[in-house]
Amino acid sequence: MVTKSDTEPVQIEIFPQRFLKPETAQRLLNEIYKVGGITRIMIQGPNLPKSIPYGPGRGLPIEENLDLLLEMGDQALELRVKVGRIWLELASEDYIEKIEAACERALPFSFTTKKGKFFRTTSTVSDYAKYGTDADKRIIGLIDPKAKRERDLAILSDSR
Amino acid sequence: MAYEPQYYPGSTSAGVNRRKHMSGDLEKLRDISDADIVTIMGHRAPGEDYPSTHPPLSEMGEPDCPIRQLVEPTPGAAAGDRIRYSQFADSMYNAPSIPYWRSYWAAINCRGCDPGTLSGRQIVEAREREIEEYTKVQMDSEMTDPALATMRGCTVHGHSLRLDEEGMMFDMLARCELGDDGNIYYSKDQVGIPLDQKVNVGKPMSDEEAAKRTTIFRYDNVAFGGTIENRDFDEGLVALHHMWERRSLWGFRPE
Repeated sequence: MVTKSDTEPVQIEIFPQRFLKPETAQRLLNEIYKVGGITRIMIQGPNLPKSIPYGPGRGLPIEENLDLLLEMGDQALELRVKVGRIWLELASEDYIEKIEAACERALPFSFTTKKGKFFRTTSTVSDYAKYGTDADKRIIGLIDPKAKRERDLAILSDSR
Repeated sequence: MAYEPQYYPGSTSAGVNRRKHMSGDLEKLRDISDADIVTIMGHRAPGEDYPSTHPPLSEMGEPDCPIRQLVEPTPGAAAGDRIRYSQFADSMYNAPSIPYWRSYWAAINCRGCDPGTLSGRQIVEAREREIEEYTKVQMDSEMTDPALATMRGCTVHGHSLRLDEEGMMFDMLARCELGDDGNIYYSKDQVGIPLDQKVNVGKPMSDEEAAKRTTIFRYDNVAFGGTIENRDFDEGLVALHHMWERRSLWGFRPE
């Protein structure tokens, strides 16, 4: 997916002070994509269901949550959550400052970035259930257990 | 001698607001029409007659009971209305009222109601006539901020989440929206069924005003116990500690 580099990959979490609207999330992703150096990216937040899950109105469609798309590079994914935090794996530490600058440009409120280990390294039972015994280590834990790989995971072309 | 209940100790803004909520001495911030309140609650169409579960009490005839003779039935009970509810979710980010304080307000100031308190929501159940009146008081007063406290009958998730960009509490069913004129509109009723016409519930409070009117203690607003370097217990916390100490350690039983 990414050409082998001799720098150590580093993982950061971007935690904005407010939840992001789809437009702001798209703006942020565009800025991050321009910086480059990303090997993996994951977006997390509370669920936005497509129809009312339970109660007297169960089954009615929720218009505001339909047709939300996030585009990055040449790929587009359906946005199913209200963007709360973004995990990034970068090719090297030098990119962190540039990513923070990109966030400053895109977000109208404050945010914090944390460096650490966020993506899982070993397979769990859910990963075994989804991918079998030889799961590709790069996609373990990248999407939640109920998500479908075809719908919720996109692989960008290696042009950067 | 007239006894004036104190309701809550403490002189911090949170303490003062808690006293205001419990005593019912609230400021009215907006005036939402009765028909709009009924529309948001979603139990009957505005203008419709109240459906009833039993005939009016005067026609029914009641057993000879001293308590029934002492207690005057509420208008809803006398007419035989159904019992219906209104449920609010209050954000932890400085919503004016919080579940326990809504329950205290309802229990102290509202006749014939059954308040229920949960961590993420607070529900008041009463006869239909009464609950509409009580909900109107709640929505009009400073207890409810349209952005930080919304009427949610189901799928209440959101009280502890960060606010979104517009300062509104997260709502899975997108019941409310911020209009271009700065007012908050309910586009769906409290259970998520879309409304024919959006209901205007007024402008949200600014962050500073919400911080002043809130009843919740927060470390970044009015702290319950001060900060780690500088412990400064609120009078409410001291009173609570005394109650615990005397009951648990020394076996004090007030009865």
